Amino acid sequence: MKFIASAAAVLFFCAAAVTAQTLDDLKNDGKNTDNVLTHGMGYHLQRYSPLNQINKKTVRRLVPVWNLSLDNNWGEQAQPIVYNGVMVVTNARATVAIDLATGKQIWKHTLDWPPETPRVVCCGVSNKGAAIYNGRVYRTTLDAHVLALDAKDGKEIWKSKVAEWKDGYSLTVAPLIANGVLITGISGAEFGIRGFIDGWDPETGKQLWRHYTIPARGEKGNETWPQDNNAWEIGGGSAWITGSYDPELDLMYWGIGNPAPWASQRRPGDNLYTSSVLALRPKTGEVAWYYQFTPNDAYDYDACWELILADLKLQGRGRKVLMQLNRNGFLYVLDRTNGQLISANAYEKVNWASQVDLKTGRPVETDIAKSIRDMKATEHWPSTRGAKNWQHSAFNPQTGLLYANTLHEGRMYKHLETKPYTVGQRYQFIENLPLPRVPGEPVGHIEAIDPLTAAKKWRVPLMDFQIWSAMLATGGGLLFTGKETGEFIALDADTGKQLWQFQTGSGINAMPVTFTQKGRQYVTVLSGIGGLYWNIAREQLKDKVPPGGSVWTFALMQD
Amino acid sequence: MRRRFAAPLAAALALAGAPATAQSPQARNFAPEQLKTGAEIYERNCSPCHGARMLDPQGAADLRKFPRDERERFINSVTRGKNQMPPWGGLLKPEEVEALWAYVVAGGKI
Repeated sequence: MKFIASAAAVLFFCAAAVTAQTLDDLKNDGKNTDNVLTHGMGYHLQRYSPLNQINKKTVRRLVPVWNLSLDNNWGEQAQPIVYNGVMVVTNARATVAIDLATGKQIWKHTLDWPPETPRVVCCGVSNKGAAIYNGRVYRTTLDAHVLALDAKDGKEIWKSKVAEWKDGYSLTVAPLIANGVLITGISGAEFGIRGFIDGWDPETGKQLWRHYTIPARGEKGNETWPQDNNAWEIGGGSAWITGSYDPELDLMYWGIGNPAPWASQRRPGDNLYTSSVLALRPKTGEVAWYYQFTPNDAYDYDACWELILADLKLQGRGRKVLMQLNRNGFLYVLDRTNGQLISANAYEKVNWASQVDLKTGRPVETDIAKSIRDMKATEHWPSTRGAKNWQHSAFNPQTGLLYANTLHEGRMYKHLETKPYTVGQRYQFIENLPLPRVPGEPVGHIEAIDPLTAAKKWRVPLMDFQIWSAMLATGGGLLFTGKETGEFIALDADTGKQLWQFQTGSGINAMPVTFTQKGRQYVTVLSGIGGLYWNIAREQLKDKVPPGGSVWTFALMQD
Repeated sequence: MRRRFAAPLAAALALAGAPATAQSPQARNFAPEQLKTGAEIYERNCSPCHGARMLDPQGAADLRKFPRDERERFINSVTRGKNQMPPWGGLLKPEEVEALWAYVVAGGKI
């Protein structure tokens, strides 16, 4: 009997070893196309898969193979994780494991945050996805906790409090596992938080380090904040989109959010390290270098968006770069070994700055910027929502192009007089009113962009609704993305021509993935309208697009 | 440049003028201090969803259209939450919710 128990234990541990994801697995994500182990489909966040079974010719035979309801009306924004025949998805309410072969739910772990929590959530009650490592699933919660679940059964292993939600802190970011450390950011710059990035022990949930995105008095960078008030203590600088990671350099790159309040009169100075990128060591949180995109940001141009890593040829020399379609309208390429600016070109209509000075790395502000800083109502491009928002772009290393869903939107923007900070309440002090729609002018584009010049290879105008869904690029010459009106679409990556579509049950504002099982290629996307654009366009969409989350998985129709 | 600027400005001015017509005679019954408190709370906590000065409600309820004879419904919705709006009763005092009601009834005019 004793022997049997021991043998069972050995077998159990063998099975556990087989199902555990190692750091090497995470580093090599994408090489084994049966799995999708990292947010961004690789530490580089390229959202590219070489899979080509579904291609320009075969995509017309793409059909749904299963659909699973997530029983959630708050909206779906997450990217699924796929490992060993199991898919894990998250939203603000739950984490769900699904059997890929059948589409049936294996387990569900639900969350119960206080109903008041959305008071401190600026832009939609959501969650961007899970991380997986060593047999565990990690996720963040709206009421600012991080937790570990057993990948086998969804049982909670540990739960750590990150911050007090009543003070304006919340979490929607998908965690990153880098060099054995679990990394999370924070949301809340619209509520006057002091932002940070945390490193956790994945085994125990113990906090290993915290790096504040705004330096304290006496630390380098604090001199860019006023020295006669406490603006730095309530200065924002969130980090709500997952950073990228270069295992060779052992550096991770996190985009840092806007300063608080948006109205800038009480915080003269560059306000480091808001609206910047930080290159950090995952083991310690130590900063190797930084670059600030928008000094003294007066426009909510937070720099949280995906920082895509690639190797580009520049004047015959290979360079390790980092790319970002920044909210401020410029497309930046930086040397990721040292933060040196390589190029910065406008990819949308920009009127607050004329250019980025490549010598100083600083934007050259125009009279429009002066007018805004002088607290006058001003026609402002791109609006505070940016030339691109959080909808993740894709990079195809074969074509060398970025593929993105961008926004074409200006607004009447005005700074108001700031009032004293009140803990856990909004800290913005602006008016932001719509401009009349110019007939024939698009509201956004789907586009293919050269990272170094920002030249468009092609551009598809969007005349009705913007797209707030991530892009997926594949070796089959296709792009996949989803519309707020529910259509999941496939485009020809060479021309932008739409080749295929399927109407899902709600709007799509999530992140599609592709993978294989037993040699067959699948594509999955979450459908469920929510997030900031649902807040913005609900009046136009409410009679056309019902809420309701679900997972859709597609494959080519078999004979 | 001047022409481009002029059209949006005119539209913004037109919008800004809109609530004046919605002003109820009861607005005169509210103390100026109460209206000022309501305006400050509105600007900080409500305008991100219901729009600056109630002009651009986007996805949230258009408070310019909220029935002026349904005070109790307003107080309950703000205090306890409704649809995607969270409850505010734990943050705002009853007199602050009343001040918000005054601001709404006054059509955003203080």
